[in-house]
Amino acid sequence: MRLRPLLPLALLLPAVPWTQARIDREIGTFRAQEEVLYLWSGEQVKRLSPGFESLAADLYWLRTVQYFGGERLYSREKRFELLQPLVDIATTLDPRLEIAYRYGAIFLSEPLPVGAGRPREGVELLEKGVRSLPHAWRLRQDLGFFLHLFLGETERAAAVLNEAAEVPGAAFWLRMMAADLVTKGGSRADARRMWQQMYEQAEEGIMKANAHARLEILDSLDAADNLTGRVAEFEKRRGRRPARLEDLREAGLWGGPLADVAGTPFGYDQQTGRVFISRESRMWRPD
Amino acid sequence: MSRLLAVAANTFRETVRERVLYNLVFFAILMTLSGLLLGQLSIRQDAKIIKDVGLAAMEFFGTLIAVFLGVGLVSKEIERRSLYPLLAKPLSRDELFLGKFAGLAFTLLVNLAVMTAGLYLTLVFIGRPADPLLLAAVYPIYLGLVLVVAIAMLFSTISSSSALAAVFTVGVVVAGRFSDVIRNMREVAPGVPPWAIDFIYALLPNFRNFDFKDRVAYGDAVPPDVLLWVTAYGAVYVAAVLVIGLASFRSREFQ
Repeated sequence: MRLRPLLPLALLLPAVPWTQARIDREIGTFRAQEEVLYLWSGEQVKRLSPGFESLAADLYWLRTVQYFGGERLYSREKRFELLQPLVDIATTLDPRLEIAYRYGAIFLSEPLPVGAGRPREGVELLEKGVRSLPHAWRLRQDLGFFLHLFLGETERAAAVLNEAAEVPGAAFWLRMMAADLVTKGGSRADARRMWQQMYEQAEEGIMKANAHARLEILDSLDAADNLTGRVAEFEKRRGRRPARLEDLREAGLWGGPLADVAGTPFGYDQQTGRVFISRESRMWRPD
Repeated sequence: MSRLLAVAANTFRETVRERVLYNLVFFAILMTLSGLLLGQLSIRQDAKIIKDVGLAAMEFFGTLIAVFLGVGLVSKEIERRSLYPLLAKPLSRDELFLGKFAGLAFTLLVNLAVMTAGLYLTLVFIGRPADPLLLAAVYPIYLGLVLVVAIAMLFSTISSSSALAAVFTVGVVVAGRFSDVIRNMREVAPGVPPWAIDFIYALLPNFRNFDFKDRVAYGDAVPPDVLLWVTAYGAVYVAAVLVIGLASFRSREFQ
């Protein structure tokens, strides 16, 4: 083969990545994903990919993960508009894609800017998962957890946890947790046990990291409540509230840190004597 | 029989010479990239997605190869003027037709075997077990591909243009993938008489019968009796198509 005709390639081939680098520099390395979903119905996509539904589901799932990650990391508005339809299409194409229900529910339910802040849609996704995979007790468990943790529907959560306990192979503690929810009305200790379970069940990755962050938030809330108690103690002893939290330390009432797990100092309202997680902290979540 | 095998061997050599198996290089690249990237992108779904991609690629590329090799039987041979010397040899048209079919079926078998090995290698590469259950999806895919070849060869004997034969074959394959839609046509088109729907449903090859990809990707076994019935369906359908194809090939006049 004569090589001379191919010589221009030696110049042209390196030019391609060079021009691409220039474009990236001009536009920015990350170009926001196109906020368009051409097909909004999983049934439509199903009809268009006969015999290849599972592959299509994988592609939609990959796009969901990329969309969520891209939106969370790079988007300023963090609207997550396409999240619900993407997960819905993926799970319609492959109703057995359990991971999509579990992760999708977390992505949807966590408040902004961590997630989409749409817990109702997260719960609906888990309900769809429970219908598709009636023997997957972990999906029922997550549904019960999410009903309590994100929607505050404690009674329904307890009923779902009892249903989960009926599934063969389900964890033994589900029934006890359901009973606790009914008797205690859903305490922070219940929430801690739920997040602890999710942390232990998850493999390394975004779900485990999210459960870990939630446990840290609960630790920070406990510390803030503890400090609020010390403020009350200070008031009882001195007849006034401390002007700043450091006064508790000087009074010998507090020896620990005055910051949450993330290292952000706690907020303090002298009017009410309440200590709380600062809005500046990554531990802060809306009530 | 020996003449039939000689045609089959020659057909296999010819398809290899036509670089048909180059798709294996593409498959290898696809599998390697899937193995390297999907673990990061899919959140622990890498093994399932690699199985989906591998099996879908086998079916998709296999179908393309089956169509384009199958339609070349008569029309391409005419275009290249290589059919006439063949017909002049002491070789019956039946032997030529069936030998070509056997050769193409063997090409597809080799193709599929190498792709299956590639899929297993990728799974082992990412630290997942080489699940023997996958073969329960690969085998029906092969049956489906053999049926596609038979259909393509049939259209090749009817049509003088390989492009037209390819269009007809793809049309039948796509329609066969929508068998469930045809069966449920009554719901969307109540005016169509039920016997017509039943007739179309029975006539078209139901390619969904050969699809067990989803099941095995989730580790579900395929019952042996189901595989047996699928084999019987494939064998009967292929035999029927070949009989029509043979009749058409015998009666066709080449000038």
